[in-house]
Amino acid sequence: MSRPLRKLLDKAGMAVCVLLLVSPALLFFLWMLSLSLKFEIDNGAYPPILIPERFAWKNYTTILEGNSFLLYFWNSLIVTGAATLFALLVGVPAGYGIARMRAHKSAVVIMIARMTPGLSFLIPLFLLFQWLGLLGTLWPQIIIHLVVTVPIVIWIMIGYFETTPMELEEAAMVDGATRWQIFAKVALPIAKPGIVVAFILSVIFSWNNFVFGIVLASRETRTLPVAVYNMLSFEQVSWGPLAAAALVVTLPVLILTVAAQRQIVAGLTAGAVKGG
Amino acid sequence: MSILTSSDRVAGAASVGRTKRLRPSYWPFVVPALVVVVGVIVFPWVFTLWMSAMEWRIGEEQRFVGLQNYVRLATDVRFLEAMGHTLVYTALSVVAPLVLGTAAALAFNTKLPARGLLRGIFVMPMMATPVAIALVWTMMFHPQLGVLNYLLSLVGIGPLQWVYHPSTVILSLVLVETWQWTPLVMLIVLGGLASLPTEPYESAQIDGATAWQRFRYLTLPMIKPFLMVAVIIRSIDALKSFDILYTITQGGPGTASETINLYLYSVAFTYYDIGYGSAIAVVFFVLIILLSLVLLHLRQRSAWNSGDGK
Amino acid sequence: MASVSIRNVRKSYGPVEIIKGVSIDIQDGEFVILVGPSGCGKSTLLRMIAGLEEISGGTVAIDDRVVNDMPPKDRDIAMVFQNYALYPHMTIADNMSFALRLKNTAKSEITAKVERAAGILGLGPLLDRFPRQLSGGQRQRVAMGRAIVRDPKVFLFDEPLSNLDAKLRVQMRTEIKEMHQRLKTTTVYVTHDQIEAMTMADKIVVMHDGIIEQIGAPLDLYDHPANMFVAGFIGSPAMNFIPGSIGGDGFTTEDGSRLPLGGRVPAASDGRPAVYGVRPEHFRLADEGLAAEVVVVEPTGSETQMVLRPLGTKAGREDRKRELTWVLRERTGARPGEVVRIAPDPALAHLFNPDTGLRL
Repeated sequence: MSRPLRKLLDKAGMAVCVLLLVSPALLFFLWMLSLSLKFEIDNGAYPPILIPERFAWKNYTTILEGNSFLLYFWNSLIVTGAATLFALLVGVPAGYGIARMRAHKSAVVIMIARMTPGLSFLIPLFLLFQWLGLLGTLWPQIIIHLVVTVPIVIWIMIGYFETTPMELEEAAMVDGATRWQIFAKVALPIAKPGIVVAFILSVIFSWNNFVFGIVLASRETRTLPVAVYNMLSFEQVSWGPLAAAALVVTLPVLILTVAAQRQIVAGLTAGAVKGG
Repeated sequence: MSILTSSDRVAGAASVGRTKRLRPSYWPFVVPALVVVVGVIVFPWVFTLWMSAMEWRIGEEQRFVGLQNYVRLATDVRFLEAMGHTLVYTALSVVAPLVLGTAAALAFNTKLPARGLLRGIFVMPMMATPVAIALVWTMMFHPQLGVLNYLLSLVGIGPLQWVYHPSTVILSLVLVETWQWTPLVMLIVLGGLASLPTEPYESAQIDGATAWQRFRYLTLPMIKPFLMVAVIIRSIDALKSFDILYTITQGGPGTASETINLYLYSVAFTYYDIGYGSAIAVVFFVLIILLSLVLLHLRQRSAWNSGDGK
Repeated sequence: MASVSIRNVRKSYGPVEIIKGVSIDIQDGEFVILVGPSGCGKSTLLRMIAGLEEISGGTVAIDDRVVNDMPPKDRDIAMVFQNYALYPHMTIADNMSFALRLKNTAKSEITAKVERAAGILGLGPLLDRFPRQLSGGQRQRVAMGRAIVRDPKVFLFDEPLSNLDAKLRVQMRTEIKEMHQRLKTTTVYVTHDQIEAMTMADKIVVMHDGIIEQIGAPLDLYDHPANMFVAGFIGSPAMNFIPGSIGGDGFTTEDGSRLPLGGRVPAASDGRPAVYGVRPEHFRLADEGLAAEVVVVEPTGSETQMVLRPLGTKAGREDRKRELTWVLRERTGARPGEVVRIAPDPALAHLFNPDTGLRL
C-alpha cells in the first residue's frame, strides 16, 4: 500500500474510532432533548420517535410555571453561590499558605476529605443543624456544601501556587512589599487562571450535589436536583416534563462545561495527577 | 511570629542567638480555612466515631454501647450483602472505564479535526448533574417503552429487564457509571500521553517496532503511573457512588443493588438509627482509606519517574 | 550608595554548613563579583545580603548598620534575579515602578524616574508592553531598570546573564559595566562564569565549598593566584599543573624532565614535592624542555589551542589529566602525532604545595 493512502486510512480509522467514542454521550443528550420535546403519546410510541411532528414546548412552560421551579432554581443559586464564594474566600489564601509553607502533609487531610463519602458528613452535621435549629433554612445546605467546595478550591490552589515561581515573590520582597501586598499584588493576580478553574469546578460540583439536599432540604429549601428527583417520586410520572426538568437542571452545567472546557480539563487532571 | 519592622531595635539585635524570621509567616493565610475544615470535616469525623459507640435513635434516649454496633454489623446479612454488591460494582466500574478511557485517550491523542469540540462532548457526561442523567437513564431502561430495548431489538437481542431484574441490575448500573466516568479516565491518560517524550518513539520506529509493540513496550509502561492514578480515583468514586444508584433503583429490586452507601442512607435517614449508621460510616471510611493506601503503595512501585507527583 | 561589610558569616541548613565563615569588605561604589563553581555558596551569600536567607552566624552590615534581622524591604537594596522575576501581569512601566508605588511615591516622581531608567537602558518604546512580549535581552534590561528606578544603596545581581545566548551575554556585560560606571552604585554580582568576573569586576571574590579562596582585583588573581584552586579556576583554558619535585635550581617532573624556575627556588626546599603551574599561553617552542606528542589541534582563528601528551604517558583515562594545553598566538602547521618540545617561561610559572594547594 502506498504511504499517503495508508496515512489517509489511518486518519479515517481514527476519526471513526472517535465518533464511536463520542456517540454515547452525543446520542444520550440528543435523546434527552427529544424526550423533553415530545408529547406523552410520542414518548410512549413504539418504535420510539426521535424527532416528533409536533414539539411539546409546553413541557418546559409547565415546569417553569408550576412546582415552584423558580424558587428551587433560586435556592440552588444561593447555595452554590454562597458555598463557592465562601470556599474561594478561605480556600485561596489557604492554598497559598500551604504551598508556601511546603506543608504537603496538611494536604493529606484535604485528600481524605475528598475521599470520604458525603453521607458520613451528613449524620453528625444533620444532628448539629437540628440542635442549632437551622433546619428549614438554606444555611445547613450552604454550610455542608463547604465539605465539597473548600477541599476542591484548596486542592487546586495549592497546585497553582506551587507552580508560580518563588523568585517573583522574592523580587516583591526586595521591592518592599509586605506579605499581604505580595499576596494581593503579585501572587493573586498571577494565580487568576487557577482561581477561575477552582471557581468553575466548585460551582459544578456544588450545583450537581444531590445527597445533602435529600436529607437537609425541606419543601421550601429544595435545590434543583432534589426538586427534580421529587417530581419522579411524588407526582404522576410523565416523561416529557420530567426530561425537560432534568435538562433545565443540568443545562447550566453543560453550557459551562463546553464553554470552559479547557479550564475544567486543566483542573481535573491537575488535581487528578497530583491527587495520587 | 511577626516580621520585624522597627529599625532601631534591629541595630541592637545583631548578635547571634536571636532567631528572627526574615520571611513572613504564612499561618494567617491558612487559619480561616483551618477553622472551616475543623468545623465541617474534622468535627464530623470525630463525632461519627463517638456516635458509633452509642445506641442512638432520633427521639430516644442515647446509651453508650461500646463496640456493640460493630458486632451487630458483622452478623448483619443485609450489610454483608451490601458489601458484596459494593465490591462487584466497584470492580466493574473501575475496569470498564479504564479500558475504554485508555482507548479513547489514544484516539484523542492524535491530530483530529475539531478535537476540542469532540473532547467537549465526550466530557459532558461526567460534568452533567447526576440526578438529571439518572432520570433519563431510568426512562431508557424501561423494558417496554425504553429506547435501549428498541435498539437491542434492531440487532435481534432482548428484550432485557435491565434495572428491573436482580440479575441484570448491577450490570445496568455499571453501564451508567461507565458511560458517566470514562471521560475522567480519558482525561487523566490523555494528560499522561501528552507528557511522554517523543524520542523513544522515534528511536523505536528506527528499531522497527510495530504500532502494537510501541504501545505495549513504550506507551503502556510509561503511562502506568497515570493509569494507577485513574484506578485510585475511580475506585474511590465508585465506592462512594450514590446519586445514580439512589435515583435509578434505590437499591432495588428488593436489595439486589443495595451498596454500603445506600444501606448507610437507609439506616441513618429512613430508620433514623444514628448510632448504627455511624458504625457503618466508620467501617465504610476505613474501607476506603485502606483501599487507597493499598493502591497508593502499588502506585509508588509503578512510578517510572519520581517527578510526576507527590 | 553604601559600603557592605560581611563579617564571619555562616549558613547552615540543619547539620550541613554551606557557608563556613566568610568575611568581605565592599567599599562604597565598588563592583564586587562573587565567583565559584555551582554549590560553592555564592548565591546563598548574596541572598543573605538581600535578606532572603537567614544568617546562621556572623553579621552583614550595610553602611555600618547590621541588617541581620532586617527584612529585605527595609534594606534599601535592589536585586536582579536569574530568571528576571518580572511580574507577568504588569506592564514594563508598572514592573519598574512597583517598588515606588508601594512606597506611595508621588506620580510625577515615579514617571520621571521610570523615564530616566528607560532612557538609560533604551526601554522607552517598550514601557506599555508586558514581559511576555519581550525578548530575553529586553527582559534582562527591564530587570535592571527595575533596580535602577529604586536608586538603592546596593545592587545585587544573581547570575543575571546565564539565561542569555553567548552573543547577548557579551553585549549585556558591557551594558552592566557601563551602567555601573555611570551610576557608581555599590554592586554585588554572582556568577559562575570566570570571564564575566574578569571582565566586569573591580574586585573578585573566589569561593569554593563555602569558604573564600581569594579576594583581589581580576589581574591580581590571574597573575598571583593564592592557591591551586584559584589558579585553576581563573583563566581559560585552565592552567596546566605538572606534578614533580624541586631540586637544584630547577624542577623535575615525575617522568624526569627538567623545567626551569628562573632562580626563584624557595629556600630549604631541595627534593621537596611540588606542583608546577603554567598557563597555556606561557609555553614556547624550545630545543630543550618537555617532549610531548600533539593530540588535538584546535584553531580558533585568533589563536591556536593544542592538547599535548608528554612522552612517556599512555593514552588511557588515567593520563588524561597529565595532558597539557598550549595556546599559541600564531598559526601552526603541527599535526596530531607529531612530537614537539616546549618550555615554560620561568618568570610566569607558579609553584604550589601539592598537599595544601597553597602557592610556594
